[in-house]
Amino acid sequence: MAKWFQCMKVVWSNLMVYKTNFILQSISPLFVFLFIKASLWTAIYKGAERVEIGGYDLNQMLTYHLWIMVVTLISIGAISQDLSQDIRLGRITAYLIYPFSLFEFHFSGFLARQSVKLAIALFTLFGVVLALKLPLSVTSGGWAILLALWAGLFWFFLNYFFGLLGFWLEETWTLGVMSQVITYFLSGAIIPLELYPLWMQKILFFTPFPYIGFVPVKLIMGSEVALAQAFAVLTLWIAFIALCGYGLYKRGLRLYTAAGM
Amino acid sequence: MIHAQGVFKEFRLYKKEAGFKGSLKAFFSRQFEIKRAIAPLDLEIQRGEIIGLLGPNGAGKTTLMKMLTGIIVPSGGRLSVLGCEPAQRLKYFRQRIALVMGQKSQLWWDLPAMDSFLLIQKYYEIPPKAFKDRVEELSDLLRVSAYLNVHVRKLSLGERMKVELMASLLHEPEVLFLDEPTIGLDLLSQKNIRDFLFQYHQKRNPTLILTSHYMADIEALAQRVVLIIEGHKRFDGSINKFENLLGHNKTLNFTFAQQIKEFNFFSPYSPRWNAGGKAVEITVPEGELRQVASHILAQYPVTDFSTQKTPIERVLETLLNSPELLKET
Amino acid sequence: MLKQIQQYLSVYQSFVSTSFAESMNFRLHFVLLIVMDLFFYGSAFFTIEIIYNQVTVIGTWNKHQVMFFLAFMLSINQLVMTMTSEAYWRFPELLKSGELDFILLKPVNSLFLTFFRYIRPGSAFNIFFTFPALIYFGVKVDLTPLAWGLLPFFLLFAFLLQSAIDLLIATSMFWMLEGTGMNFLRMEFQQMSRWPDFIYPGLFRNLFSFGVPILLIGSGPIRFLFNPNDFIPFVAMLGACFLLWVLVALFWKKGLRAYESASS
Repeated sequence: MAKWFQCMKVVWSNLMVYKTNFILQSISPLFVFLFIKASLWTAIYKGAERVEIGGYDLNQMLTYHLWIMVVTLISIGAISQDLSQDIRLGRITAYLIYPFSLFEFHFSGFLARQSVKLAIALFTLFGVVLALKLPLSVTSGGWAILLALWAGLFWFFLNYFFGLLGFWLEETWTLGVMSQVITYFLSGAIIPLELYPLWMQKILFFTPFPYIGFVPVKLIMGSEVALAQAFAVLTLWIAFIALCGYGLYKRGLRLYTAAGM
Repeated sequence: MIHAQGVFKEFRLYKKEAGFKGSLKAFFSRQFEIKRAIAPLDLEIQRGEIIGLLGPNGAGKTTLMKMLTGIIVPSGGRLSVLGCEPAQRLKYFRQRIALVMGQKSQLWWDLPAMDSFLLIQKYYEIPPKAFKDRVEELSDLLRVSAYLNVHVRKLSLGERMKVELMASLLHEPEVLFLDEPTIGLDLLSQKNIRDFLFQYHQKRNPTLILTSHYMADIEALAQRVVLIIEGHKRFDGSINKFENLLGHNKTLNFTFAQQIKEFNFFSPYSPRWNAGGKAVEITVPEGELRQVASHILAQYPVTDFSTQKTPIERVLETLLNSPELLKET
Repeated sequence: MLKQIQQYLSVYQSFVSTSFAESMNFRLHFVLLIVMDLFFYGSAFFTIEIIYNQVTVIGTWNKHQVMFFLAFMLSINQLVMTMTSEAYWRFPELLKSGELDFILLKPVNSLFLTFFRYIRPGSAFNIFFTFPALIYFGVKVDLTPLAWGLLPFFLLFAFLLQSAIDLLIATSMFWMLEGTGMNFLRMEFQQMSRWPDFIYPGLFRNLFSFGVPILLIGSGPIRFLFNPNDFIPFVAMLGACFLLWVLVALFWKKGLRAYESASS
């Protein structure tokens, strides 16, 4: 446990040194994204001279996107190139010798970044609730944060999986960007999922995407959500991708040690 | 050719205390201090000379080279290389110099060296005929013809260094800067690089400025050495003069048949005994060489002996340990 | 002068062929680059499709007008992805490792050598998607013959303005310890410029048109193409283009003086 904490401390102190990087990479994109969407939707409502689109009036739409920002702050991380770089430059050899595995190292780094982002998200959440006097039930808010954290875990394992492909691929960042593009689109981060074609909505709820943005936001906004199903689907996906990662690691390591890369 | 007058360079060094608290502090106010990498320095180098730049790690050799090549800008002083101010980076200037760094590569890692050469041909506008001739000539001299079409990342360090050298010589620079060109190479590869540089200099007579931690490189190539310690020039003169800095001493080595018990005779000559007391290295003033040597040969059971000039390595080591031996130059 | 242009063209030709040869070592990456951008284009067009399922106009523009605008911006994006993007990501590494040294030694313009050396042939391939989309929606919005004639030049100007902004951001890395973060700033600006300027509230529209002129990249030329009387943003765009390139030259020179070259 102590070594985990030590490792997290190193990551925190790194975040401090490279604070501009951290802010530009992990925090500010979400604010910019929110700014764009707020402008866009305001313009849409104004142009359409309509009060309601897909069950949202303008205020609700803006609130929706505000919560999307808070939720995705926790559930989606920056694409990390570290792992595949470690592999390519042969730095993972060290972890084959240390009493601290490659996974443990990356996971504690994830926890350290996640804790900072959680703090920022909670701070924003309470700040917004107090400033705008928005209604928020503590239970559904709590479940929403928990679900977002759970989705964050999925995102970590997904990126870990992509990173491990570095055993075979020279560059893996394209996969990260691709997953980000798809996630933004399918998680409801740009447009609430109610506006999507019905057949798409039906399929989507069996994928991990809605639980990364849409579902936690609906929870915060006080809608009824099938919580058990949400956690069940997401957990299955986490287990699946984690297992895939484990298999990939085993095979990659065999390749790595055999080739003495 | 190269004139430097009072050239110096200062860097800003940012400081951070270790640990999380230190990072937090640095977050709010960044502390820095000015570090003087090169103190005001004068240097004159003639066309065709081979200069060995000596000094410990961090002494400022690389900084000096980077100022001479125009990569970094001096903080002050006057500098002229080939009649140009390097920091202006005139095209005329850049076409006439080259820098080889043992620890960095200018070649495209994932391509055969020949592809990089073709790119270099375009950069320097080398006519196709001349390019072809030079590639042939250099690859013969360096014996690398076989690797020119192999991906650079697959070459050994020694092979890569040769190709690296070749890339820097395609445009026939008038001044060639070499920063640790033999670092990390095995003895044979080191010798190959040295021999090549020697031959190339004979043939084309460029000015060579060389740093190396291997004194064999310096001894084999340099006619003149410049010693830099902590940013100050502490010696500038011929290599013979450098070797004689510690006086005109010779080093004698003796091996004996059995352990020597009476060693009073050796004491004045700063003896360095081996662990078993059966071999000794002494330093003898040139004038006493005959007398001391014949005394030892006559009085002790000598099985082997040899003599040599004080090796440049030892001179450097002694000077670094006791810089007070040098007058400020 | 002519000889110099010739030299730079032949250098650039070598960049293309070395980049192509290099990318052939990583064929899967080559394919993934193509697929990645296709996902990106797809989601961008589909987003607009979904919005227009609900409304008939955004601001004053109908669906095809916004689609045409998007196709224009994606074409710029595709050019950036092909010609310069890789270099922006490698630049902090060049600074940190001191490999910029070799660039500074070459008798070729260092800005050109630093930022136009890495070409992504995978992204180049996507020109087969962005340009047809641009033409398709150009037909849909009934561009005049004059507008069709101007379109290639407008693409060029937009690319030049985009590059000037990107280069200014990249140049700041000389003074920053942490270069990679600046690339995200670049991407965030690009993201903002991918929507027509009129969606932004007045204060921000002015800030991002006349302060940091990211909105002029697309909105300048496209508004002019739709309505020749709406020429002010376009003129501003040409002015910004000129001014920013002067700044790029200036800051690059300053940056090189500040460059400390990592030792060994």
